[in-house]
Amino acid sequence: MDRTLAEARHVIVADLGFGDAGKGTIVDWLTGRVAATARPAARTAAVLRFNGGAQAAHTVVRADGRSHTFAQFGAGTFAGVPTLLTRHALVDPLALAREAAALAALGVPDPLDLISVDRGALITTPLHAAVNRAREAARGGAAHGSCGIGIGETVAYALAHPDLALRAGDTESPARLRRRLLALHDWATTTIHALTATPPQGEWLAGRDIAGPHAGSRGGERLAGRQRAGLPAAAGGAEALPDVEELIRAYRAFARRIRLTGDGEVARLAAAGRLVFEGAQGVLLDEWRGFDPHTTWSTTTFANALELLAEAGVDAGDVCRLGVTRTYATRHGAGPFPSEDPSLAPLLAEPHNGTGRWQGAFRVGHLDLVLLRYAVAVCGGADALAVTHLDTAATAGDRLKVATAWRAGGTRITRLRPGPFTDLTHQRRLTDLALAATPELVAPARSWPALLTDELGVPVAVTSWGPRSGDKHPPTMDFSSTREDRGRVPVP
Amino acid sequence: MGSGRWSHDAYDAAAAYRARTGRDAFDYDAGIRASRRRQDWTAHPDLDPYGVDVRESRDSAEHPESLAVAVLFDVTGSMGYVPRRLQEKLPQLFDLLLDRGYVAHPQLLFGAIGDATCDRVPLQIGQFESDNRMDEQLGRILLEGGGGGQKTESYELAAYFMARHTSIDCWEKRGKRGYLFIIGDELNYPRVYARGANAPVTGYDRGGRRGVAEVIGDRLQDDIDTRDIYAELREMYDTYYILPSGTSYAGDRQVLDHWRGLLGQNVIELDDLDAVSETIALTVGIGEGTIGLDDGLADLRQQGSTAGRSVERALATLAHPAPRDRAASGDRAAPHDRAASGDRVASRDGRGGDRGGRVPVARRSVTRRRDTRGARWV
Repeated sequence: MDRTLAEARHVIVADLGFGDAGKGTIVDWLTGRVAATARPAARTAAVLRFNGGAQAAHTVVRADGRSHTFAQFGAGTFAGVPTLLTRHALVDPLALAREAAALAALGVPDPLDLISVDRGALITTPLHAAVNRAREAARGGAAHGSCGIGIGETVAYALAHPDLALRAGDTESPARLRRRLLALHDWATTTIHALTATPPQGEWLAGRDIAGPHAGSRGGERLAGRQRAGLPAAAGGAEALPDVEELIRAYRAFARRIRLTGDGEVARLAAAGRLVFEGAQGVLLDEWRGFDPHTTWSTTTFANALELLAEAGVDAGDVCRLGVTRTYATRHGAGPFPSEDPSLAPLLAEPHNGTGRWQGAFRVGHLDLVLLRYAVAVCGGADALAVTHLDTAATAGDRLKVATAWRAGGTRITRLRPGPFTDLTHQRRLTDLALAATPELVAPARSWPALLTDELGVPVAVTSWGPRSGDKHPPTMDFSSTREDRGRVPVP
Repeated sequence: MGSGRWSHDAYDAAAAYRARTGRDAFDYDAGIRASRRRQDWTAHPDLDPYGVDVRESRDSAEHPESLAVAVLFDVTGSMGYVPRRLQEKLPQLFDLLLDRGYVAHPQLLFGAIGDATCDRVPLQIGQFESDNRMDEQLGRILLEGGGGGQKTESYELAAYFMARHTSIDCWEKRGKRGYLFIIGDELNYPRVYARGANAPVTGYDRGGRRGVAEVIGDRLQDDIDTRDIYAELREMYDTYYILPSGTSYAGDRQVLDHWRGLLGQNVIELDDLDAVSETIALTVGIGEGTIGLDDGLADLRQQGSTAGRSVERALATLAHPAPRDRAASGDRAAPHDRAASGDRVASRDGRGGDRGGRVPVARRSVTRRRDTRGARWV
């Protein structure tokens, strides 16, 4: 696997930070750019989502001023490229219909025709969301900063009840759909009752409910890890639970309208053209490689996409693993952030990321090479980089620094060692380390792309000078050079 | 998203998914009518039977035991408002079959029948589908509304196509017949004409009669007796005729007798058009032995359907003998005549008479022609 963006047939786009680096605009650029080129073989056949669910927020601004924050639709939608939600993604049919309506209002013809969903994809229901909000409310001051739409609950429930988890394919069978929704309803009723009726004390979750019989399994470990973090405080108010019959009607309509796919779909699409895998969140939030417990219930590295491509029989040499990073670091929600510098916020325009209702404030800091090196390492390497927000960096000028190392407990740290896979104890140690670390900040001596290429050993394939597709372009200079910036200017 | 929002979301989502978008609404019909003169009307390419080798219903990993269910309806003028109502109602059929577990893996095909003597588009046949694409095909059917005044339509051409140009795994792999429903109000022509006649027979189009050669593209040596083609068809499909109210010949004795002559007791009079999907679903369910009539009617009531009484009346003749005993014994309830059942069992081993291997249909010769030329036809 050593392909540049131009040579590779398929591209996997992953965020090397905590999210919000600009995957959406890169995917929009990739799909739109190739759609405009003459070679049909290079056309993007589909954008594939390989992690996360409706909580994704990938904002794309088009040249004509249209803007949409993509959640379940891929960011290639404006370019007319269809989206496949693979079995690693989660689907929320109710939110999907809303998003389709929003896209239709923006002039996308028949958006629902552009979506297909693997039968194995988990479904996020309002039942999961209700439990999510009840749990978050019960945590009080120790809230996780969840999005409040039930993504984590959906994954947790599926890990605890693999035979009862609701998947997209279940909507095709009314009997199975009903059975599973009723089970979900029972679970939600019991769980919310436990959260609201009896004010929980201490580690009340441990060994109870979904974690119980699965402790020690992968699911149990994950559950235990998550639960350690949240010490519930006051009980929240109960909300009316969704009516199962109403949901059945909606999900049956979903099954009738949306194309559901099975094995072989990725191979079929790969034969038809280029595949662009659009990651959600960021590598540093990865469920196993992130700073536990401030992680997402999702594999955010290239792993899922590579697995899908391998199953489809795609030669690994045909794949470009594209890591995306801003020229500075951001973080939405709680968790360690060594290079955080709130004084940068006024310099760094952030039109699309406000303070989240459930997630908390949007945080900014300096580019952190320690974290980036770690991200590339846990990804198993990357083939190319996309560097975004060069325009913001140009505006901020020399106020933006680079963290080349951390100082913690008298030690200078330049690299974080990836631990054994799925060892959450190791991840907790990294979290503690990051919380205690002070960054060594230096002024960048070279252009951002040159600096990143040198420090990470990965060539820069795309630079982005603004939110629009036209603001991106492949670099023309040799970034392995250490010469001073050649005075690059944004291309209008 | 806050609490209390979910119910709106669920309602809105259901509506959004059900909403027909511009492309698959019934606008093929409207578009053709608006933009072309009648003599230029054509079938949608997806539905044009000309040159089609086979329409297939196939097993797959996702649908390991597919069951072919075809619904063809008359779209000529004598049907009145019925075709439009059918076009609106039939999308429910798939849900009905699945919702109560009547059939695990139905694959549905829709088609439309006109009059090859005077219509521009005498036959339209979609593809067997097991997802929402069948709705698109239903929406692309051109409701020509033509036909002549002679009380006959080209049902026999449709029967010929279904008998010779479909290939269904339920039959070919498992010896299990598919289901075919023909909804109409008139008689078959006495013969499947091999080719057209130059002389205009009747009607206002003056185009003259067209035959298999012109409509489907096969070159037959001779015409086929309509009774023979139905006999051939019934080897592969449990075939039903539905005469709905609201059509010109609803309740017409001659029409009913004609169809009973072809299909035995598989003739259904339907007095409430809105119950068409329920009628078909229950017929299939009873045929599959997954439901008895009483249970099926109870299902309908439970769903709040008002179609129960119409369906009950419509299916009263089919439900004898009581199918539940047969279902309980593990055998498949057979509302159709017994002789056909015997055929089915026999053909399970030997793959059934002359419908053995996959003969290229266009070249298949007519072997079943009997001496019926002089016979009086209805």
